[in-house]
Amino acid sequence: MEHEEEIQKLLRLKRYEQPPPGYFDDFLHEFQCRQRAEIIRRPLWAVVWDRFSSIAPSFHVPQMAYASIVALALVASAVILARPGSGPATVASAGAQAFSLSPSNPVTIGETLPVAFTPTGSPSVHYVLPNRPVSYAPSRSF
Amino acid sequence: MENPETPDGELVARTQAGDARAFDELVVRFSPRLYGLVYNMTSNHEDTNDLLQEIFAKAYRSINGFQGKSSFYTWMHSISVNMAINFLKKRNRRMTMSLDDVDNGIVNDPNFIEATSSRDPRHQANLGELQKKLNEAMMKLSHEHRAVVTMFDIQGIPHAEIAKVLKVSEGTVRSRLFYAHRQLQNYLQEFITN
Repeated sequence: MEHEEEIQKLLRLKRYEQPPPGYFDDFLHEFQCRQRAEIIRRPLWAVVWDRFSSIAPSFHVPQMAYASIVALALVASAVILARPGSGPATVASAGAQAFSLSPSNPVTIGETLPVAFTPTGSPSVHYVLPNRPVSYAPSRSF
Repeated sequence: MENPETPDGELVARTQAGDARAFDELVVRFSPRLYGLVYNMTSNHEDTNDLLQEIFAKAYRSINGFQGKSSFYTWMHSISVNMAINFLKKRNRRMTMSLDDVDNGIVNDPNFIEATSSRDPRHQANLGELQKKLNEAMMKLSHEHRAVVTMFDIQGIPHAEIAKVLKVSEGTVRSRLFYAHRQLQNYLQEFITN
């Protein structure tokens, strides 16, 4: 280009634009002050994220690995949700059956003894399990 | 302060091992060069100062991720250019120029004398006017073109190194320079001798 060199000469004059005298002497001090302030101010998650993102490139994971993991997770979620009988209503009914105390599926705790009857004869009866010792070792005294 | 002969790589390794003073030495070593890069992209001293502080803070936080595949110089320039471009995109139109002091040496520079001493009255620009025109012309370039012009024409960084910093081909660097120079020629017509 005809005036290419002249443009370059003009641009080189911008090298003379400098910051105020003493600027670079103060710059490091200001940097250190800001760093200390930042350490106090930064939330923990930001510090953890910074550490992670700084070491992440050194994991040497294959290209597209992160994308593949996300895609696999999405596919797995879709399969689980689409499986028949895996909806929330089914889970609730299954749960109800598992904890049913209906006569066809009684729960036997073992031998029990009544400890009290209410005077009115209401069905509110309290039971305790027989007081069987689990060990004959002498109890410790402190 | 450290021995000026200490290689960048050694200071980086010591910083990675937890020696914060080694990073201080890198700050001292690189701040003048990076100041020039950021200042010529923003044309504002206060913005340059804030941005430069953030650049070094980011570099310090990310230094464990630096693996030495490129030189530390290239790595720092990449961070600086990316952060400067992001900053300029956010700053958008609220730009105000704050021209830095011009070193007195400029008055003896043959290029300055040539640009300001032509017989043509249009060339009778003083130092301040020339500086203002140059900055205005630079700010009319796109961020990407300005980055290339700053690194090549002002900082004297070779095409190949600029290509590494910007992660583009050398051909792209040359093409951006060509286009930017053509634009600047239009803006700075009055300072170009015929």
